Amino acid sequence: MKVLAFLATIPIEGPDERAAAIPSAQAGDLAAFEALMRRHERLVLVTALRLVGNMADAQDVSQEVFLRLYRNLDKVEEARNLPGWLYRVTVNASHDVLRKRPAADPMEYAAHVPASGLDPQQSTAEAERRRVLEMSLRLLSEKERAALVLRDLEGLSTEEVARVLGSSEATVRSQISKARVKVKGFVERYFRRRT
Amino acid sequence: MNCTHWEERIALYAGGDLPAAEAAEVERHLGDCPGCQLFASGLKESLQLLQGIHQDPIALAHFAAVRARVMAELEGSLQPWWRKAWMYGLAVAVAAALFLMLALRPAAPVHPKRMAVQVLLPQVDVAPPEPVVPRVIKAHGVRRPRVRPPAVVPRAPGPPIVVKLLTDDPDVVIYWITDNSGE
Ligand SMILES: [Zn+2]
Repeated sequence: MKVLAFLATIPIEGPDERAAAIPSAQAGDLAAFEALMRRHERLVLVTALRLVGNMADAQDVSQEVFLRLYRNLDKVEEARNLPGWLYRVTVNASHDVLRKRPAADPMEYAAHVPASGLDPQQSTAEAERRRVLEMSLRLLSEKERAALVLRDLEGLSTEEVARVLGSSEATVRSQISKARVKVKGFVERYFRRRT
Repeated sequence: MNCTHWEERIALYAGGDLPAAEAAEVERHLGDCPGCQLFASGLKESLQLLQGIHQDPIALAHFAAVRARVMAELEGSLQPWWRKAWMYGLAVAVAAALFLMLALRPAAPVHPKRMAVQVLLPQVDVAPPEPVVPRVIKAHGVRRPRVRPPAVVPRAPGPPIVVKLLTDDPDVVIYWITDNSGE
């Protein structure tokens, strides 16, 4: 099972927790499902946020992903398979959102609430950092963005990215290299303009 | 040096995506080419910047909101059938009871109410308005008649107007009293 072997390379949690959560959730234990969701919510929400570009849509995507997970729990035989499955479903759900979006409505970052405990100056700096990331990703095509987000931001290997995206490694490599060159160009222009 | 053909390989090298042999080849080129060295360091810096931003914390409320929405949906869909049936049954029973109440209500005789309206105006002496007299004003040698605006004479508030509504029922008479302030 090639897919299972790949998915097994993305560690998420201890074996005991992994062993317990899915069967309980499959048996209809909502508390167990909520615990499962907590363990993977960052993976799903942050990936979706990078792909769709705003928090409201990213939350919609996350909701959809977790509801699909609940409906397909029987297909997730082992917890170690879960991250790969979640990345794939998150990418697909994000693409659905982007397709439904009117052409005139480009990726936009809705100002999202800063992490608690930050003073206004910190949150301004944080907002600018987010803006740099968001604008860099906006330059990329949907496929380049997905490849770069999974490889460079989420840290999957090229092989894993290819499996999640359902394409060849050569294609992913080409998408990643183009995306990196575009991002470099943007970041340099952005900071040169500001100095 | 025109190194466009090195770009893709350097971009992969910057992210550690080249096999050892190709990476060594890129490194050799970088050793000889200051332009590509600059390009490679720019790639690494921009990647590190994005990776750092990606790790910035996100408010926990965003995760909690998703969790709440998912759990609400699951709890709604997982409600046992008998509870849903009970809810539907209750709604149907209430609707039926309302329908029966309306249908079986004894029909009360309807008497259209006729009303006679009588306005009781008090006798007040009102002076007739002053006649408007056109005045001739000499301006730039041309005589133009000008109409003087009527003088506003404040009127003292009169006694209130009383409207008397007479209904079919001789015992019911409605009085409507309104202020007659002259405005
Ligand atoms: Zn060169």
